[in-house]
Amino acid sequence: MPASSPLVELNALTKTYREGDQDRTVLRDVSLHLDRGAFSVLMGRSGAGKSTLLNLISGIDLPTSGRIRIGGTDLTEKSETERTKFRRTNIGFVFQSFNLISTLTVAENVRLPLELAGNTPRADHDRAQAMLDRVGLADRADAFPDRLSGGEQQRVAVARALTHDPLLVLADEPTGNLDYETGQAVLTLLGDLVRDTDTTLLVATHDPEVLPRADRVLHLHGGTLHEEVPEYVGASR
Amino acid sequence: MTLLQRSSRRYLTQHPWLMGLSVLGVAIGVAVVVSIDLANTSASRAFELSAETVTGAATHQVVGTGETLDDNVYRRLREAGVRPSAPIVEGYATLQRGDRTFQVIGIDPLADAAFRPYLGTGTSGDLDLGAFMTQDVALMSAPTARELSLSSGDTLQVDVEGSTYSVSLLGLIEPRNERTRRSVANLLVVDVSMAQRLFDQSGRLSRIDLLAPSDEGTQTAYLDRVRQALPEGVQLRRSDTRTETVAQMTKAFDLNLTALSLLALIVGAFLIYNTMTFSIVQRRGLLGRLRALGVTRAQVFRLVLGEAAVLGVVGSGLGLLLGIVLASGLVQLLAQTINDLYFVVEVSELSISTWTLAKGGLLGLGTTLLAALPPAREATNAPVSTVLRRSTQETTLQRRAPWWAGLGLLVAGAGILLLLVTQQSIWAGYGALFCLLVGAALVTPLAVMVLANGVWPLLGRLTGVIGRMAARGIVANLSRTGVAIAALTVAIAATVGVGIMIDSFRGTVSDWLRQSLQADVYVQPPSLVFRRSTATLDSTVAARLRGVEGIAASYSVRRVTVQADVGRTELVAVEPGTNTEEIYQFKSGNPETAWDAVRSSPSVLVSEPYSYRYDVGVGDTLRLQTDRGQRPFAVKGVYFDYGSDLGVVLMSRSTYEQYYDDQGVSGLAFTADDTTSVDALIADMRASVAGLQDVLIRSNKALRETSMQVFDRTFTITTVLRLLAIAVAFIGVLTALMALALERRREMGVLRASGMTPPQVGGYLTLQSSLMGAIAGLLSLPLGYVLAYVLVFVINKRSFGWTLQLTVPTGVLLQALVLAVVAALLAGLYPTWRMARSSPAVALQDG
Repeated sequence: MPASSPLVELNALTKTYREGDQDRTVLRDVSLHLDRGAFSVLMGRSGAGKSTLLNLISGIDLPTSGRIRIGGTDLTEKSETERTKFRRTNIGFVFQSFNLISTLTVAENVRLPLELAGNTPRADHDRAQAMLDRVGLADRADAFPDRLSGGEQQRVAVARALTHDPLLVLADEPTGNLDYETGQAVLTLLGDLVRDTDTTLLVATHDPEVLPRADRVLHLHGGTLHEEVPEYVGASR
Repeated sequence: MTLLQRSSRRYLTQHPWLMGLSVLGVAIGVAVVVSIDLANTSASRAFELSAETVTGAATHQVVGTGETLDDNVYRRLREAGVRPSAPIVEGYATLQRGDRTFQVIGIDPLADAAFRPYLGTGTSGDLDLGAFMTQDVALMSAPTARELSLSSGDTLQVDVEGSTYSVSLLGLIEPRNERTRRSVANLLVVDVSMAQRLFDQSGRLSRIDLLAPSDEGTQTAYLDRVRQALPEGVQLRRSDTRTETVAQMTKAFDLNLTALSLLALIVGAFLIYNTMTFSIVQRRGLLGRLRALGVTRAQVFRLVLGEAAVLGVVGSGLGLLLGIVLASGLVQLLAQTINDLYFVVEVSELSISTWTLAKGGLLGLGTTLLAALPPAREATNAPVSTVLRRSTQETTLQRRAPWWAGLGLLVAGAGILLLLVTQQSIWAGYGALFCLLVGAALVTPLAVMVLANGVWPLLGRLTGVIGRMAARGIVANLSRTGVAIAALTVAIAATVGVGIMIDSFRGTVSDWLRQSLQADVYVQPPSLVFRRSTATLDSTVAARLRGVEGIAASYSVRRVTVQADVGRTELVAVEPGTNTEEIYQFKSGNPETAWDAVRSSPSVLVSEPYSYRYDVGVGDTLRLQTDRGQRPFAVKGVYFDYGSDLGVVLMSRSTYEQYYDDQGVSGLAFTADDTTSVDALIADMRASVAGLQDVLIRSNKALRETSMQVFDRTFTITTVLRLLAIAVAFIGVLTALMALALERRREMGVLRASGMTPPQVGGYLTLQSSLMGAIAGLLSLPLGYVLAYVLVFVINKRSFGWTLQLTVPTGVLLQALVLAVVAALLAGLYPTWRMARSSPAVALQDG
C-alpha cells in the first residue's frame, strides 16, 4: 500500500436488516477514508448505526453492498475465517462494557491477542507486561477481571486492544460505563497510546467530551455519514 | 496449555457441581453398558469354557434324535474301526456342599485321553483306573476342592433331578494353566457307567466324540465311513454346532439387554447435551468477545468439543471402574436368568475383557462428543458483536419453536417409517425408538411454551405475581428451560416405557398362566432350568402318584429336545383331555379340527414364538428327526405360549410314542375329584412317594406363584437397568435446574433488591422448578406410552415373537410424575439455600 493511501476506505456501504416482513436500512451509501494515525470520532444517537458501522469495519459483519478496504485488504472479498484472522492481527477493540474474558487473568487477557496471532510465549509475556506497565496495572497482572474496578478493567481493555500493534483500534462507547474523571483518564491513555504507536483510532460515542481530542468528527444520522470540521481540531493533541 | 484451553479449564473448575454431576451421568451410563457387556461376556465365556471342556479336542460328534443315543452305536463305530472315539454322558448335578451346580461328564478313561488330556485320565496317568471304572467315584478340580474344603477320599452328596447320590472324591485335577483352571472349575468327571446311573440313562449316551483327520481329503473319506456305520436317526455333526446353537438361543435376550443398557447411556447423552448447551448459552457473551478478538469459529468449536472430551474421558474412566463393580453383582443375576430361561450355566468369576472395556470407554467418549456436537455448533454461532441482547435470542428461539417441532415430527416420522420398512430387525426397532425420543425432544420447546402460557393465568390467580413470574420465566428463558425439560422428559419417558412394557408382559403372562393351568395339582422333578424342564419323572413315582385316591383325571407331559429341519426344537407331548381346547388359546388355525388332527394323525401345533422364529404356520410341514428317521408333521395350529421364547412344538402322547421309543414323563397334572380337597390330595401324594425321587408337588396356585416369581426374577436385570436410567434422569434434572437457577443469580439479586424476601425468592425458584418438573412429567406420559407401544408390539415381537396385551399401570405413571416433581423440587433447594445466604448486592455485581 502506498504511504499516502488511506488506512480505512469505505466505499458506498449500505447495510440492510430484515425485520419480520420489512427491510430496515441502517446504513445508506456510506463512504469514508481514514488516514493512518488519525483519531476520529463517530457521533450519533442510539440506534443510529454506530455499532453496525464498527462491525462492518472490523469484518464482524458484511455490508449489503459496498466495499471495505483496511490497509489495502478488501474485507468484503474475504471469507468469515479470513476476516476473523485479519481482525485478530490488525484490529483492536475497546468496548463500553470492557468485555474482558472473565476466566483469564489480567495478564492473560492482554496476552490473548498475541497468542492468537501466533507469537512466542516469551515475547507474549514481555509485551503484555510492558503494556500493563503502560496502563499502570502491572501489579494487578495476576488478578481476575472481577476483582478490578470499572476504570481498571477499561485500562486492561485498552492494553489488550493495543498489545498486538494493530493497524486500527475501534472503540465503542469506551467511557459509557465510567464516571467522568475515570472516563477522561481512559481517553487520555487511549489517545496517548495510539499517538505513540501511530495507530488509527475510531471512537463511536455520544460523549461530547471526546470531541476536543479528535482529528475528525463524523456524524451518523438517518443512515448517512456527515463530517464536520470542528474549530478545535488538533487543539488538544 | 494455550490461553483458550486455560479459559476452558477455569470455566469447568468454576462449576464443579455442574461438571461433577455431568461426569457422574456419563459414568453411570458407561457403567451400565460395560457391566451388562461384562456380565453377558462372562456368562457366554463360562458356557464356552464348559462346552470346550467337555468337547475337548473332538472335531465331530455323533448324536441321537433326542437328547441321547443308544450305546450300541459306539460299539458299531469301534467295530468299523472309527478311532479315536469316546462315549460321553453328560448332565448337571447340584453338590449339596456349597449348593453349587456342576457339569457332570461321564467318560471312558481308556478312550478319552486323546480328547481331554487335561483330565489326567488314560493309562499313563496316576489315576486308579480300576477304582474309577468300578466304584461310585468322581474327579474334581483341585482349586474347587480347596474352595469347598474337600480332599481326596471325601464323600460328596450329589442331587440330580430330585434324587441324591453319594460319590467319593477319587482324585483331583491339577489345572496346568489359567484357561484349564477356569474350564474345569465347575466340572465333575465320572465314569460313563456311573453317569448313566446318575442321569437314569442306562444303555444310552449323550454323544460320541470323534477326532477326524485334519487333511481335507482323508477327512471326507473318514466322515463317509462314520456315516455308513451309523443307524437311521443318528446324526454326525461338527462339534462347534452346539456352542453356536446355544449362542443362537440367547441372542435376542442378550441383544435386548444390551439395548436396554444403552438406554442409560442415551439418557446420559441428553445430560451431556444439556450441560454443554447450558455452558454455551451461559458463555455466549464470553464466546462473542473471543470471536471479536479474532478467535475463529473452528477454534470455538474445538474448544467446546475439548471440554466435552474432558468430561467424556473422566466420566468414561469412572464408568469403567463402576461398571466392573456393578458387573460382579449383575453377572449372578444374569446367570440366574439364563438358568431360569435357557440352559445351565455356573459363572464363578467375572471375565474382564479388554475389548469390552475399550468399547465401553470409546462408547462413553463418543456419545459425549456426539452429544456435544450441537452445542459446539451453536457456540460457533455466538454473535461476535456484544450488542445482541439475550432477549433477542429468546425471541428468536420462541419464533423457531414451531420449526423445531416440525423437524421433531419429521424425525419421529422417519422412526415410524423405519418400523414400517423393516420386518424383523431388532436394531431397526431400537433405531426407531431413538428417532421417537429425539423427535419428542425437538417438539418439547413448543409444548413447553403452550403449557407454560396455558398455566400462567391459573398460577397467577393461585399464587399472585410470583406464580405468574414463575410460569412466564419458563417461556422467557426457553433456551435454557427448553433443553432441561426435553432432557428430563426423554429420560422419564424412557423409564415409563420400560415400566409399562414390564407390567404389560407380567399381566399377559399372569393371564396366560391362569388360563393354561387348569388342573389342581402339578408334579415335576426339580430342574435346573425352570422354563425348560426336560428332567424325567421316575416311573415308580409316576405310577404311585397315579394310584393315589381322590384323583378324577391325570395328564402327562413329556418335554424333550429333538432335531427338526429348521433347527433344535423343544417337543412337548401331551395327553389331550376334555378341557384341552380351553387351555390352549389359538392364534391361528381352527381349534376343533386342529385337535382332532393332533389326536389322530402325525400333526402338531406350534407355539407363537416358534412360529415367528422359524416362520412356520398352519398348512406348513415340519420335518422332525424321530427314532424312525426324519418324518413329516403337518402344522395344524399356532397357539399362544409364554413359557419359552425359543418356542415349542406340541404333539399328542400317542403320536409321540408312535415315533419315539420313550416312555418317560416330564410332568404330571391331576384334577381332584369332588370329594377330595386339593391340600389333602397333595399330602397323600407326598406321602406316597416319600423316600423315592424328590419331586415338586404343587397346587395350581403355588405353581402360578412360583412361575410369577421366576418371571419377576428374569426381569430383575431389566428393573435394575430401569432404575439406573431413572438415577441418570434424576441427576439430569438436578443438573439442569440447578444450573438454571444458579445462572440467574443476577435476576434474583434484582428481585431481592426490589424487596423480595429470601423465602419469597426461594418460593419463586421452587415453584418454577416444580412447574418445569410437572411439565416434563406430563409430557413424558404420552411419550412413555408410545415407547411402551414400540417396545411391546415391535421390539418384543421382533425379539421373541410374543403377542402381549398393553396395559398401562397407574403406578408407573404416578411414579413418573412424582419423580419429575421431586427431582425438580430438590434441584430448586440448593440455589434457594444459596440465594438466602447471599447478598443481593453481590449477586448484582457478579452479573
